[in-house]
Amino acid sequence: MAFDEMKAPDGGVSSPYRAYEKWLLSAAPDLLPRKHEQADELFRRIGITFNVYGDQDGTERLIPFDPIPRILTSKEWRRVHDGCIQRVKALNAFIHDIYHGQEILKAGIVPAEHVLGNDSYRPEMQGIDIARDVYVQIAGVDVVRTGADEFYVLEDNLRTPSGVSYMLEDRAMMMRLFPDLFALHRVRPVDHYPDLLLKALRSVAPPACDGEPCVVVLTPGYYNSAYFEHAFLAEQMGVELVEGRDLFVDDGLVWMRTTRGPKRVDVIYRRIDDDFLDPRAFRSDSTLGVAGLLSAYAKGGVTLANAIGTGVADDKSTYIHVPEMIKFYLGEEPILPNVPTWRLEREDERKYVLEHLSALVVKEVHGSGGYGMLVGPTSTKEQIETFRAKILANPGNYIAQPTLALSTCPTLVDKGIAPRHVDLRPFVLSGETTTLVPGGLTRVALKEGSLVVNSSQGGGTKDTWVLEDDEC
Amino acid sequence: MLSRTADHLYWMSRNIERAENIARFLDVANRLSLSGGNARDCWQPALTITGGTEAYQERHGQVVAVSVISWAVLDPANPSSIYSCLRIARENAHAVRSVIPTELWEIINSTWLELKNIDGHRLREQGLTGFCEWIKERSHTVRGATHSTMLRDEAFWFVRLGTFLERSDNTARLLGVRSEGVTADTRVVSASAQLHWAAVLKSVSAYKSYRALTRDDVSPAGVADMLIMNPAMPRSLHTCMDTVSTILERISPTAECTRMAGAAYARLHYGKLSELLANGLDKFVSQFILDNNALGTEIHEDFLMSS
Repeated sequence: MAFDEMKAPDGGVSSPYRAYEKWLLSAAPDLLPRKHEQADELFRRIGITFNVYGDQDGTERLIPFDPIPRILTSKEWRRVHDGCIQRVKALNAFIHDIYHGQEILKAGIVPAEHVLGNDSYRPEMQGIDIARDVYVQIAGVDVVRTGADEFYVLEDNLRTPSGVSYMLEDRAMMMRLFPDLFALHRVRPVDHYPDLLLKALRSVAPPACDGEPCVVVLTPGYYNSAYFEHAFLAEQMGVELVEGRDLFVDDGLVWMRTTRGPKRVDVIYRRIDDDFLDPRAFRSDSTLGVAGLLSAYAKGGVTLANAIGTGVADDKSTYIHVPEMIKFYLGEEPILPNVPTWRLEREDERKYVLEHLSALVVKEVHGSGGYGMLVGPTSTKEQIETFRAKILANPGNYIAQPTLALSTCPTLVDKGIAPRHVDLRPFVLSGETTTLVPGGLTRVALKEGSLVVNSSQGGGTKDTWVLEDDEC
Repeated sequence: MLSRTADHLYWMSRNIERAENIARFLDVANRLSLSGGNARDCWQPALTITGGTEAYQERHGQVVAVSVISWAVLDPANPSSIYSCLRIARENAHAVRSVIPTELWEIINSTWLELKNIDGHRLREQGLTGFCEWIKERSHTVRGATHSTMLRDEAFWFVRLGTFLERSDNTARLLGVRSEGVTADTRVVSASAQLHWAAVLKSVSAYKSYRALTRDDVSPAGVADMLIMNPAMPRSLHTCMDTVSTILERISPTAECTRMAGAAYARLHYGKLSELLANGLDKFVSQFILDNNALGTEIHEDFLMSS
């Protein structure tokens, strides 16, 4: 049985949900469905949508929004908060080390071939110094829960993690739909996220910056599926939203084309993958990037957030080593554990996994987005045998994890309110300090029994509430 | 401001203004035809003004109400249909949604989403008059939101620039219909011509104002005077060029386009109608449209495509 976040051990309602439950019992039976419809209408009007690729007509989908909040106590949050900060600090230290002395490889803690042979490792970054040694200004740490005190990190997202606009818009929507609920609860605010983001970005201005740092958001353009978020963040921070064609490099500095001539750019919050950033250094067919950007970056003319080459640290083969990194760089015990992971390149672990395939999840080391994955419990015998052959052919390419019973939260479905599985993505900001707003994006699998929360596979989002201390 | 942003803002407002003006022309054509006008006389001007008469003829042949309406309102193949204008306006707004006020984006987006759901059947149900009123109302709302929520910075000025440049072009084209031989002395005309010039006034919501300002009957010279020279008339060429020139002075006093706009404004402000129309209203109109296009091109070169 999955852990139900609304249930207390004695079968009653858990403490963070008590006031909500009382409110719900006194509400009209059609209130939630009505508010749900209203929310859809508002979201469509505001245009908070995901573009569907290749559709020129502007067909856009809404990401389903669930009107029931996920509520966490301050104490529960504290653990996630501390654990995420610790983890991101260690990961930043790791990336810096990899592109400098490589002490962790020398110490034999992380095998060199895992890192240097990785597609996301960028030799161009070797020996380059960047502002404050911060590589990951914005991280999305995917946290899952399996019990009252059991939180695990499922994945680190250190390239261009998205979803924070949904966190902010979901909160704005909840306040609009249910102002009375906010009078009944003391929910810790999240709307200062854009201020913290801007502060973090300004704090990593490059050495060449000699005045107020000029920050911009770099988007692939308005056909990109996350364009809404790019525009939203630029707007909230009050900075320019630029495309590659708006920028050019001259004399080791980056400039944008304006109605009053060129203007210097110091910090680029880029939402474009490494491969497309600079046609001169990476993919030459990229029309999204800026020619010469890497060389300006390497010379300290501009800061990129996140840095180039951070993908080396959010790969599944690196994930396994994060707890050791925390000990190695910070001298601390990990606050949030990893999901237990078996490495199939090791004989003893492989033997165990092959004997228990029907109970495990097997993933490709470099895969993402649910591709190349075996979910044992929901697979046929035939699928399992086909996968077994793939593993045996190249065991080093796979890892295995237990099938986690993700916690559930009450969710509005066709037939009323029912428990559905959720995860949580807090967004960790690093600049002068490392910080995050209370909560994050809760993703919910709307299909009964489903453990897949991805929006591409029918997942929705919920507002995440962290209550002030005195409420629990 | 980013040059690309200025470009998007400018085309966003130009296309909304154009959609509004097409709705105005169609509305008046419709009213004329309802009061017994000959179909060709009523609907041809709407085609002439919006351009694309040739493309229309290729597709539909004869000028009949139902074809002109479907061409000018809903046809995606017509770059000057209301459908195309609002699509382009929305695309441009989408690209600058971080720059414009949220309300402004929401109005433009919801207008487009609603328009997308309208087909010939629904249009007939709603009636052309009701539809045109809706388009005008949305355009008014866009302008209202622009005025009451936008910071008075460059973004605002580029939005206004697009509106007034487009409007001056549309007013000129409107004056161009049945303009042959019209001079500052053309006072007495046939009943059908009088009907036409009254319709011109109505399409720019100026019929009542005309009555209030002049005691005379509606005449070509009177209408031309009002729509070219009158500084109090918000859609007159005088007002449009005054606004365009003032905006460009603010954006960049030394730019070439600012000089051109100032000169165009001075011609109207310090000119006399009898001199401007010495060779006929038709010649004046075609020269004005040419000059206006040149001004648009220069604005592009000065601000929108900088490198």
